[in-house]
Amino acid sequence: MRSKKRQSDGVFLMPEGDLKRPHSPQVTLLCLLFAGMLSIGFINLYSASIGAPFFWTQLRNLLITLSAFFLFGWLIPIKKVSAYTYWFVGLICVLLTIVLFSGRIAGGAQRWISLGPISFQPSEFAKLAVALSVARFFSANRQDAPYRLRDIMPLAGIIGIIFVLIFAQPDFGTAGVCFLIGLCQLAFIRLDIRSVAAVVLSTPIVAAIGWNMLLLPYQKLRILNLLNPQLDPQDTGYHALQSLIAVGSGGLFGKGYMQGTQAHLRFLPERHTDFIFSVFAEEHGFWGSVLVFVGFGLLAYIALDIAKHSKDTFSGLLAIGLGTLIFLEFIINVAMVMGIFPVVGIPLPFFSYGSSAMLTICVSLGLLISINRTNSGVSKR
Amino acid sequence: MTRIHKQDSLLVESRFLWASLSVLVLLSGLFFRLWYVQIYQGEYYQGISERNRVRKIEIPAPRGIIYDRNGDVILGNSPFYDLVYIPQYVQDRDTTFKVLSRLLHVPTNRFETRLEMAQGQPKFLPITLKRNLSQHEVSMIEANKIFLPGIEVRVAPRRDYGPDVPPHLVGYLREIDPKGLQKLNKDASGNPYLIGDLVGKQGIEARWEKHLRGKRGYRLIQVDAFGRQTQGFEERGWQFPSVPAIPGSDLELTLDKELQKIAREAFNGKNGAVVVLNPQNGEILAAVSEPGFDPRAMQNGLSAEEWRRLTEHPFKPFLDKTTGGEFPPGSVYKAVVALAALEERVVDENKTYFCPGHFTLGNRLFYCHERHGHGTVNLIKAMLKSCDVYFYQVGVELGVDRIAKYAKALGLGQMLNFGLNMERPGLVPTSAWKMLVHRFPWAAGDTPNVSIGQGYNLITPIQMANLYATIANGGKVWRPYVVNRVTNHVGEIIYEHQPELIHEVTEIKPQTFDMIRQSLMAVVMDPQGTGKNAIVPGVTVAGKTGSVQVVSLKKNRNQGDVSMNWKEHAMFAAFSPVEHAEIAVAVVSQNDPIGGGGRSAAPVAGKIIAAYWKLKEARALARQQAEAPAPGAEEREAAKL
Repeated sequence: MRSKKRQSDGVFLMPEGDLKRPHSPQVTLLCLLFAGMLSIGFINLYSASIGAPFFWTQLRNLLITLSAFFLFGWLIPIKKVSAYTYWFVGLICVLLTIVLFSGRIAGGAQRWISLGPISFQPSEFAKLAVALSVARFFSANRQDAPYRLRDIMPLAGIIGIIFVLIFAQPDFGTAGVCFLIGLCQLAFIRLDIRSVAAVVLSTPIVAAIGWNMLLLPYQKLRILNLLNPQLDPQDTGYHALQSLIAVGSGGLFGKGYMQGTQAHLRFLPERHTDFIFSVFAEEHGFWGSVLVFVGFGLLAYIALDIAKHSKDTFSGLLAIGLGTLIFLEFIINVAMVMGIFPVVGIPLPFFSYGSSAMLTICVSLGLLISINRTNSGVSKR
Repeated sequence: MTRIHKQDSLLVESRFLWASLSVLVLLSGLFFRLWYVQIYQGEYYQGISERNRVRKIEIPAPRGIIYDRNGDVILGNSPFYDLVYIPQYVQDRDTTFKVLSRLLHVPTNRFETRLEMAQGQPKFLPITLKRNLSQHEVSMIEANKIFLPGIEVRVAPRRDYGPDVPPHLVGYLREIDPKGLQKLNKDASGNPYLIGDLVGKQGIEARWEKHLRGKRGYRLIQVDAFGRQTQGFEERGWQFPSVPAIPGSDLELTLDKELQKIAREAFNGKNGAVVVLNPQNGEILAAVSEPGFDPRAMQNGLSAEEWRRLTEHPFKPFLDKTTGGEFPPGSVYKAVVALAALEERVVDENKTYFCPGHFTLGNRLFYCHERHGHGTVNLIKAMLKSCDVYFYQVGVELGVDRIAKYAKALGLGQMLNFGLNMERPGLVPTSAWKMLVHRFPWAAGDTPNVSIGQGYNLITPIQMANLYATIANGGKVWRPYVVNRVTNHVGEIIYEHQPELIHEVTEIKPQTFDMIRQSLMAVVMDPQGTGKNAIVPGVTVAGKTGSVQVVSLKKNRNQGDVSMNWKEHAMFAAFSPVEHAEIAVAVVSQNDPIGGGGRSAAPVAGKIIAAYWKLKEARALARQQAEAPAPGAEEREAAKL
């Protein structure tokens, strides 16, 4: 068996909860990557938010997000996380419902909840909720036969509710990411081929019905704008073009830190959030961007590796979900910035301003470390 | 299908390979796109990025300055503020116009017509929406600039007209029209005209346009997304290239600013023209044409109402009457007839005629302006009294063609090719001319009228001045000129005018000219002379009055009752001093409100001549004082010795 080779992991065998030494090369790599990406992100945010206090706000919030990272990485055992999953999912659903009715409006959608001085975006945490609920569902409902459609109906229900709640904000980007996270996790489960075929074949019909009967005209318009930026050249088309100009004008080595004309002369819209990668690409050019690509690629492979070596379904699926979350956001954001994807409001992990997103990323990485620590400690017999 | 950790995990192991491949494919896709955008198309996007932030600001060139003969500025430039519209950067035209209209209280359709005029030119070229903004308007625009992308206030040097600029001679500027733009740009390669440029339309401004206009430069600035200029990058040692504007060449005129001012003041209230020139070389010292117009208003653009008022004015303000106004010369012409008569030996200085107040030829009666008659008159007396009967006699004896021969020799009846504005040739009638034009033979009754300068005769004021200049200098017909020298922006002289002799009158002997000069002097200096109002103490002046009846008047009609258009033209032509004249003046007052040449035109000429001598004296004195060595220097010289 191939898995026998893995017993060499026992070198890193450590008691649970020991903070002093890293438990596996994955954890070391993850910590280094986390620190590295975070530093690059912050340095870049400083340049992107010159003249605005975003950098300092983000730095202040880093205290909270970092503590979340350590909390989930070392202090809370993964079993606890598993146990409280549905409570968390329930809470997110409630928050999303509240947002729909009394959220703060920003960028044409209701996305924010304000509690005194704190305001946050529940839809960011919904991504986590999806990853958690999928993992929890399959660990609790294990069956040896391939899953049929009716077997996973409850899970479909949960994801469907989350999806619809976010979709109605409207925030198609985040809703889509949630859906895709669930889908990617399902891809690792044995599904009944007939069920898959049925779903794939019925998708156009469901989409057609939904389009014609459920969506309001303004929502349709928004989706059309998304798919065809020329329809709305004033906003998204202009943004996408300026972003492409920023990336393209970076060239091989970029214009230099703090020298990006597109960003500093305010041609780039949303340069501290969705379009922050164009700031980076403009100032640091091709090689800088490649470095970031490599970082995210590495992160994705580490997440896959952690999932592969996890000892139970919950840990494995959760690791897949978390890796997908980070990597998918990266792919969509960068594709959007480089003009090959419609402009949807997806932040770039580690780079974009936004504490909800940052907290989600930190918790995800913490959970990945926690999973790895839990699993590598137990050798497979 | 194998599962890892068969007992615990539901995850399918083979899917990890697919997942890894997917990650790789996605990353490669992004990588390829990155390479395509940043490396393959990098230069293209760099270009766009530069164009995004760098704006080319045109620097208009100031037109050349026009100086008078003493180096005083006749016409210079001052900064003016214009509102310009750059189509490239305007996001919402209608909103922009609405905001502007509210700020400047100008209807939006005025802006739209300006835009329509500029259709078809490149989008980055500015279009002038409104000229000459006030300080207040400039600050209003600047304060609201964030709402007005693509709208800028630009400062441009523009003509600064003082009150004493002769509008006809110097000319005026008007905004170029699209048709004229194409025509002008055909031969202005390398320095094209743009919509909204001002171009010379009359006088010196039009004639010397090529030299005066200069060449525009440009300057690059960095702007942010709202089109606001930013300094940041230049502070870090960046310098954008810029090309300075080259000012137009300066003109030095022969005009004397002071004399011009005095001539204009002296002529105030009359309609017509004054020409003052130097008989020894033909340089114009002053030229007035009234009524004038305001060149400032022309530069700013006239409203339809103002335009109509100017074009329907009975005295044609746009016409430069010094070269383009043709008038019957009247008694001023008698000098020509006298010259012809003396030269053809029809009369000599002693021959007399009797003037009973009228002259009969066949069955027609010609009156003298003095109905009671002048009695027995010789040449001198006939000139000084301006006796018509004497000249009727002389004219009839000479015949029209012999008068014409001398008139043409003296430069009348043909253009002087002065080169400015629309010049008219005037008219010297001959029998052949009448046959050709009127298809009717010359009648004997036409000659008396011609010999006193009425009838078919026509002369322009500049010809009149030149005629008397020729008499004064003994037969040299100079070509009048006004631009003495053209100096470019670095001080090189690129054109210098040499006085040009059109021809020398050989038909007339110097003694004859001398005799005429003596008689013309008597006109002014004799207490009985018709031109005694032009007398200037201390110098000799020679001249001749003229009063031209526009319609023949009944015996006891009073001039005062006659309507404006029927009043007589008052003329006076003079030169001073009588020998070696330095100044020749012609005054033509159309439908003069005061009276004839002696009463109305002569005092004007007198004032101008008096001012000329006074100015000359004052300048000589000033020069003397400047050249005289300082008293200290003399003492030092003495101490050395």
